[in-house]
Amino acid sequence: MKPLGSLSLRRKLFGIVLLTALVALIVALGAIVGYDLRIYHRSLVSDMTTQAELLGRTTVPALAFDDPKVAAENLSVLRFRPAVSAAALYNARGAIFATYKRRDEHIQFPALPETDGIRIEDRDLILFRRIVSDGEILGTVYLRADYELFDRVLDYLGIAAVVLGAALAIALLVAMWMERFVTGPVLAIAEIAREVVGKRDYSRRAAKLSSDEVGTLVDAFNDMLAEIDRRTVELEASNARLAREIEERSRAEREVLRLNAELENRVRERTVQLETANKELEAFSYSVSHDLRAPLRSIDGFGQALIDDYAQDLPEPARRYLDRIRSSTKQMGLLIEGLLNLARVSRRQLERRQVDLSEIAKQVVNGLQQREPDRAVEVSVWDGMRAEGDAHLLYAVLENLVGNAWKFTSKKDKARVEIGALRDRGHTIFYVRDNGAGFDMTYADKLFGAFQRLHAVSDYTGTGIGLATVQRIVHRHGGRIWAEAEVGKGAVFYFTLALDEERPAGMASDAERADG
Amino acid sequence: MDPLNSGIGPSPRSRSVGRALGACALAAVVSILPVDQSRAQSEDQASEYRVKAAFLYKFGSYVEWPDGAFAREDSPVVIGVIGADALAEELAQIVAGRSVNGRPVSVRRLRAGDPPVGLQVLFIGREHAGRLAEILASVKGRPLLTVTESDQALDLGSVINFVVVDDKVRFDVALVPAELGNLRISARLLAVARKVVKPS
Repeated sequence: MKPLGSLSLRRKLFGIVLLTALVALIVALGAIVGYDLRIYHRSLVSDMTTQAELLGRTTVPALAFDDPKVAAENLSVLRFRPAVSAAALYNARGAIFATYKRRDEHIQFPALPETDGIRIEDRDLILFRRIVSDGEILGTVYLRADYELFDRVLDYLGIAAVVLGAALAIALLVAMWMERFVTGPVLAIAEIAREVVGKRDYSRRAAKLSSDEVGTLVDAFNDMLAEIDRRTVELEASNARLAREIEERSRAEREVLRLNAELENRVRERTVQLETANKELEAFSYSVSHDLRAPLRSIDGFGQALIDDYAQDLPEPARRYLDRIRSSTKQMGLLIEGLLNLARVSRRQLERRQVDLSEIAKQVVNGLQQREPDRAVEVSVWDGMRAEGDAHLLYAVLENLVGNAWKFTSKKDKARVEIGALRDRGHTIFYVRDNGAGFDMTYADKLFGAFQRLHAVSDYTGTGIGLATVQRIVHRHGGRIWAEAEVGKGAVFYFTLALDEERPAGMASDAERADG
Repeated sequence: MDPLNSGIGPSPRSRSVGRALGACALAAVVSILPVDQSRAQSEDQASEYRVKAAFLYKFGSYVEWPDGAFAREDSPVVIGVIGADALAEELAQIVAGRSVNGRPVSVRRLRAGDPPVGLQVLFIGREHAGRLAEILASVKGRPLLTVTESDQALDLGSVINFVVVDDKVRFDVALVPAELGNLRISARLLAVARKVVKPS
């Protein structure tokens, strides 16, 4: 059996109507039948009692004068009462005096009368009543009548079935008729709702058939559909707008990508061009430097020969000029050496491995002390400074930086040079600190350019190529170099070697290229 | 309350009274009525008179006497008997303590020649059949219920005449002499009469 909730509205309505009709009919029929049966019983009992009394009175003379024939005639009046199936008259001694039988009845009359009373036996009502006249009992009337209560009950059941059937049929018709006004509109709404959902057609409307609650529901439903329709249209418009915008954006993005690609192409081309140019320039610079050395050596050699062989023959000014020539050639040789170094640094293949910077720094300091043994410089080198890199090039870095520090502290009474390292966010920053001449931070950006000098050659010797070479090496290792200084108080040169994690791999080459 | 029995049977008190009466009546009837067929066949004079006595007593209940037939309101119904001593004896026993229409009943034996005065019922036995016409003629027109047991008695002016049919006592009724005496005989009595002679 289905649960009630899943029955359709129509069935529920039918069910309510039929159930109501059924209950009302059963109660009404039950009451009527019960009442009628009670009335039937009472009226039958009183009727038969009256009949017996009447018979008794009528038969008094027959009994009194001992005339059974007259008594039988008296009893035969009962043929007009078909309900009475049998009757008998007993005389005062209890013997049967006269009898009456309805046709075709086969009845055994009781041999002896009973005391006054009525009882129901099987389907018969049996009555005994004494005949009393002038205070004497003359006899007893016996009556046997059909007690049709059960037949009546059966009849009533039949009638009730017919009435129920007819009433339920009428109720069903009424329910079907009512359905047009009650469930019909609701079912119509449900149907339209199904269609709306199925076809996504929000322009459908339910027909308003009544102005009751269902009518209100129809109105509300239609309003809702209208609202949905409106919103759908809006939504579609907004969707189209969005789609257009997205289309435009993606077109713009494609354009940007295309431009980027173009730009990158151009950059790549330029880079290739620049690299080619750079290489040509370096080759040129190297070959020029290399080729310049031979004539320079011969100038220096013949200058030396002049001094050695003809010193006495030359006047004093000529000797001084020759000295000038020789120092200039020496200076030029240094310059050429520097340029060649710089070119070599750029061209050389990096050989990365673990390098003990502390050891290298100590070697550099040793070399400097041997060259100028009379200088008293307080040098401190941290132990255990290690790095990944090309040993030769890192040697050149420290040689230059420590050499600079050595050089620029030459005019200090208590020269101090410190080579150490810092940890900053996982990176090692190496530094070389001195308390020498320092420099003006205004010119800090010029510090690492080739041939850039912040001091006069007369004060401190140098070619102006060293820091450029250092920077080139540091960049090639993927590091950075910068400096802090104050005039007269000293300078600190910091550099890193490992690639900074937050910097992309291309950064080193960018920096290198920017230098070139 | 049981609807089948409500208001039908007599109350216990009236029932016990009725039972006592019934027993009394039964004893009386048993003594005067034939008990069965064999007894009826061998019915002798005595039992015939017993029945006739009972009938004679009961006739009173079905007859209305005119005003003036009784001396007073509570005057008894007097039944005179001529020429049937055995019957008179039986009758005296039957009426003892009984009443007819609210009046006591008394029996008076008459001899032939006694004036039938102060009587309401007069029974003339067979013994006096010879004087029947004379006696009946002398009471003609009086409010007197005459009962006889002789053939042709009705023609002579008797109101009720006993006959024996199939060994049973029956009676005929003549309405003319009753009307002459202003007697009204109940139709119920006529219903049980063997024959009713009506005015032609």
